[in-house]
Amino acid sequence: MKRRDNLLVGSLVLVATLILLGGTIWLARGGLKSGYAMYSRFPWGAGLKQGQPVLLAGVNVGFVDRVELIPDGTLVVTYKVQSQYRIPVGTTATVQANGIFGDQQIALTPIRASTQSLPEGDTIPVGIAAPGIPQLLSKGDSVAANALALSAGLRTTFVDSGGINEIRATIKEMSRLLTQVSAVTAQQNRQLTLTQASLRRTLSSVDSSKVDSTVTNLRAASANLEQLSREFKATNTQVQTLLDKVSTGNGTAGRLLNDPAVYEQLQVTMRRVDSLLIDIKANPRKYINLRIF
Amino acid sequence: MFGMDVAVRLAERRTAGILRAIGKRAYFFRDIMRGLREPGTWIPETIRQMRTIGVESVPLACIVAAFLGGVTAFQTRYQLFPGVQLSVVGLIIRQSIVLELGPLLTALVLTGRVGARMTAEIGTMRVTEQIDALETLSFDPVAYLALPRLLAALLMLPVLTILANATAIFSAWAVLVTATDVRTDDFVAGLRLSFTEFQVVYSLIKAFFFGFAIAFVCAYEGYVTEAGAEGVGRSTAQAVVIASVSILVLDAVVAAVLAPFIQA
Repeated sequence: MKRRDNLLVGSLVLVATLILLGGTIWLARGGLKSGYAMYSRFPWGAGLKQGQPVLLAGVNVGFVDRVELIPDGTLVVTYKVQSQYRIPVGTTATVQANGIFGDQQIALTPIRASTQSLPEGDTIPVGIAAPGIPQLLSKGDSVAANALALSAGLRTTFVDSGGINEIRATIKEMSRLLTQVSAVTAQQNRQLTLTQASLRRTLSSVDSSKVDSTVTNLRAASANLEQLSREFKATNTQVQTLLDKVSTGNGTAGRLLNDPAVYEQLQVTMRRVDSLLIDIKANPRKYINLRIF
Repeated sequence: MFGMDVAVRLAERRTAGILRAIGKRAYFFRDIMRGLREPGTWIPETIRQMRTIGVESVPLACIVAAFLGGVTAFQTRYQLFPGVQLSVVGLIIRQSIVLELGPLLTALVLTGRVGARMTAEIGTMRVTEQIDALETLSFDPVAYLALPRLLAALLMLPVLTILANATAIFSAWAVLVTATDVRTDDFVAGLRLSFTEFQVVYSLIKAFFFGFAIAFVCAYEGYVTEAGAEGVGRSTAQAVVIASVSILVLDAVVAAVLAPFIQA
């Protein structure tokens, strides 16, 4: 009985001790395989605590292991990153709000795709933090001030100086104009309807057999014109060939037109003929010896 | 003038009564400490009491803790308003159970189960003059009866608190993942959020003090039992009430002293 008591008590104490140590290590370090450490130095980290998640491109890759304020006024934050994840070179770390109740998380943002990764125990540079609630409230204040100024300007322009009455008058005029346009459109619509009906009547009165014969005649005329065109084209070709010959100086006509020597001989001949005619006119008996009987 | 005199005498009598009660308990504590000089008397009995207080209380402590964790998880989830990240549930459950509910409810349950039995046992021995017999046999009754129970309670309350905390957190997880929209990842993230080892130590410190309160109060009330069976019943009821109130007072004192150190 005494040995059984010892065994039971010892077993209970052992189990409790294992649960205590295992549970504490699991909660504090994420298990016995807690990954590797990385570091960052933040100028500001309100609400940053041990156990908060560390996200790489939005994926939970570890947790904050330690937050330490060193004498130069910066926060040295130690992360525990799971062994299967590597931090690409160029990654920056920022403290981000996790939800709207002041909880924080570390966001590791890769700047560019990189196959190289930071070595274990390296320091991840700090990136530009997203604006916090105070900054957003400040922006909101300036936006509200601008909106107020805009509202005051609109009031001055449209209410105080009577601009709104002008807008109302303009709208009234526009309404009247639209009424007139609408009336004109209706009238035009009626006219178009009448024209369409008249056209339909005209079209229905056309004899289709006559139209067919006209079309047939037109086709024949078209064929004739086509034939004429072909013949004209052949004639044109022949004339072109003739002109080519003439222009190249081949043949009698070509030489006549293109050879200057022929022209000069002709001119000499003409001059001689001219002088001959003059001489004949002057001395006809020299050339004409007419004898009757 | 006469009335004033009576009031002063009454106050003196009351104050004297309180001081006498404190003094008696201080003497009893001194006797317990003296008993440490006789290890042959208390060591074997301590093992037996550890089994009675610790091993035999495991089912009760675990059942209570399981329901405690489940109910806490369920209520925590449905008291969150929209927009709160679900990992908060894990954080609230861990802090509630480890820092407060685990040690406190385990101690209160053990007050009823172990403390009442302790007072009744020792009180019965007192009214049946077994304690007088021990003294006659040159046994130190305090070293034989009170010291083992006190040591056993000091050791077993932290052990039971560890089991209760683990059971409560496990049942909370089971309830959350089966009956609510909280996922295991959310729950685990919340459990790990802002965790420090001192939070567990804080829970064990509380359990240690609660164990002392249960064993000391109940052993003393049993040891000073008078007037037969009726006295045993009265002592038992009184022991449970005093031990329960002592636990709550100690809980407040420990929280006031150590709470600033539990924040991560």
